Amino acid sequence: MIRRIALIVRREFLATVTSKGFILGVLMMPLLLLMVVLLAPRIMDAHGPEVRGTVAVIDADGRVLPELRVTLHPDEIAARRMEDARRQAAIRREIAERTGRLDQIEPKEPKIKPSPVLTIVERPANTDLDTAKAALIGTNGEPEHLALVVIHDDATVRRDTEHEYGTYDLYVSKSLSGDTESVLQESLQQALVAARLKRSDLIPSEIEAKTRVQRPNAILVTASGERETQRWLTAALPFIAGLLLFMGVIAGGQTLMTSTVEEKSSRVVEVLLAAAAPLELMWGKLIAQLGVGLLIVGVYVGSGVLSLVQFSMFGLLDPTLIGYLVVFYLLAYLVYGALMLAIGAAVNQIADAQSLLGPVMILLLIPYALTPMIGQAPNAPLSVVASFIPPINLFAMLARVASDAPPPAWQVGVTMLIGVGTALLTVWFAAKVFRIGLLMHGKPPNVRTLIRWVRMA
Amino acid sequence: MEAALELKGLNKSFGATRAIEDLDLVIPYGATYGLIGPSGAGKTTAIRMIMSILFPDSGTLRVLDRGSALEAKDRIGYLPEERGVYRKMRVDAFLLYMGRLKGGTRAAVEARAKALLTRLGLADALKKKCEDLSKGMLQRVQFVAAIINEPELLILDEPFSGLDPVSVRLLKELIAEEQQRGATIIFSTHVMSHAEELCQQIVMIHKGRKVLDAPMAGLRRQYDARTICFEPLDRTADLMSLKELPGIERVRLTDEGCDIALAPDTDPAAAMRAVVAAIAPARIELARVRLEDVFVRLVSGDGASSESQHALRKALRGSDVEGEIA
Repeated sequence: MIRRIALIVRREFLATVTSKGFILGVLMMPLLLLMVVLLAPRIMDAHGPEVRGTVAVIDADGRVLPELRVTLHPDEIAARRMEDARRQAAIRREIAERTGRLDQIEPKEPKIKPSPVLTIVERPANTDLDTAKAALIGTNGEPEHLALVVIHDDATVRRDTEHEYGTYDLYVSKSLSGDTESVLQESLQQALVAARLKRSDLIPSEIEAKTRVQRPNAILVTASGERETQRWLTAALPFIAGLLLFMGVIAGGQTLMTSTVEEKSSRVVEVLLAAAAPLELMWGKLIAQLGVGLLIVGVYVGSGVLSLVQFSMFGLLDPTLIGYLVVFYLLAYLVYGALMLAIGAAVNQIADAQSLLGPVMILLLIPYALTPMIGQAPNAPLSVVASFIPPINLFAMLARVASDAPPPAWQVGVTMLIGVGTALLTVWFAAKVFRIGLLMHGKPPNVRTLIRWVRMA
Repeated sequence: MEAALELKGLNKSFGATRAIEDLDLVIPYGATYGLIGPSGAGKTTAIRMIMSILFPDSGTLRVLDRGSALEAKDRIGYLPEERGVYRKMRVDAFLLYMGRLKGGTRAAVEARAKALLTRLGLADALKKKCEDLSKGMLQRVQFVAAIINEPELLILDEPFSGLDPVSVRLLKELIAEEQQRGATIIFSTHVMSHAEELCQQIVMIHKGRKVLDAPMAGLRRQYDARTICFEPLDRTADLMSLKELPGIERVRLTDEGCDIALAPDTDPAAAMRAVVAAIAPARIELARVRLEDVFVRLVSGDGASSESQHALRKALRGSDVEGEIA
């Protein structure tokens, strides 16, 4: 019996995961996300060719240009970039230290990209704007300047009628990359601020120090100790866990239903029943699609974990949550998968399945839709009650264990026991319908007919 | 040694319909049994119960000395009437899957699949997807799947339906080989000529009940032919005038001449002498017993109206009886 079930599992699993639909529809999305997550920082950190060029500046007031010469100097740009990189590294180091992932601390100074070398070409205030712009096009497609900056004459002093200071106009050539433009804009901003402050007799460093307040991550104080919280993650986790559970169940269950309908409509089912007992066939299919669902959940969880590792935030994730996800997935899959398998066996074509599938989808969608809310209020009376009522219990409890205020262990245990009982009952029901339904053709049955089949089998 | 198959008092109902009623059947090892009857007689239900795909409401069955086919699936080959394949699967993978489900080793199944497909002229199809094969080719592949494990009991439900004559001949050869190998064969069909040709024993089922269980040779003796096949020397002779002869019940014209139905209690030898005396023959012979006639006589009796017999023959053969009976 086990040998035959194993053969059926192997065939069903391989037939599903090697189909184009599965590879394109289910696996490509997480793999693409994973590629983006893994490659994006490397592409962003990659050292491009050194940028050299000139920037024409018209500064009627003449107060901004000296500041811009400072802020646009390659050394100054490098200093700013190094400051940013150090700040980000410090955040990652702090998280790694707090979450015990000391192995993820970056040992050396962060790397920064080489600064663009932008030479300022000063243009007189009475320069004709159109002539200046023409230099951005140049002759033979080679622009004379990378950019033209026109600083407004009220950029450092406010007019009496205006609330705001004036600013500058920026004209760029096709040769200016987005990255270099950002550097130019940042340098211009700093130059303008510096010029304005100087004109008001204020010291920039003093103002910066006085206005900066560092915002720490909140520390969650519980009976079992203190740990850092990342509100965005704790808020998102119940939703993500519910989504994974939903996706795994839907993917496995849908395939289970459609493959059974196809076997029935193509009449291959009687050939199979000559070689394997109905129960062997049912368990073979059920286990194979369980594996398919696990593969999907595994790919998404793996992508998520790799992303967290990439950003040195894996320590924020409690690994036991992955264990809970797998256990609750197994139970939820058996409940919903068995029902979908029974539907597949009962009908002759997919279109007939819709009327029977409707109630099952409602039973699946309601718990899924409630997951984020239960995650936000994990210990509210309704959340506690919901975690003991099938079929909502598995989603509710997963949302609770994924939240930042997990339930007591006994409640998790009770939910699992109820889940096991529900799964056994559903599989028993499905087995009865499966045995009778596989060879039934003609009018699609309603729920009453299914119950009659269960009595007959 | 016990019988290969033993059914005792088998009953099966679907709602108010009794599909099988008190079916008793014993099939010895190595025998070839023909299970015949019109569509809806209960043949497929009986076979599905033998295969433990359906379970009887009452009665017992033993298959290959086991209490159920579930315990002997690896030793049984089954070609169901409603047969299919995994369309996206390659032929070799499909046969390997079926063979391994039946307990065969990969090497043995692959070798036998290749040999059988080559015999059936499908050596090139081995690496093709099932959906790329024609209907006739697929049916041959399905037959190979049924005998891939060299079964001790081979159950064939309408194996020739929809097949071209060449495929029918090839399959008959393979069935004959399975007989020689010693396999017990149950052959369900509504095409009586196939059963006449292949089976040693005939079991007739009508409305869920067994109406006949007899050896083919005995049937030929018991149900003597009541029809004379006559071909006149002179093609222009008035054959309908033969109806006036004593003991002649009916004359039906055929392409070559006519079929002459004898009245009950008529001595065929005397009738033949009278026919030859009336019109010079090119050929005259007694028709061989036809299972269809046996079935009709068993079910409706000799005195049944020609309309009721016609309806029965129609049910027995499907639609191909239209216009054939005079």
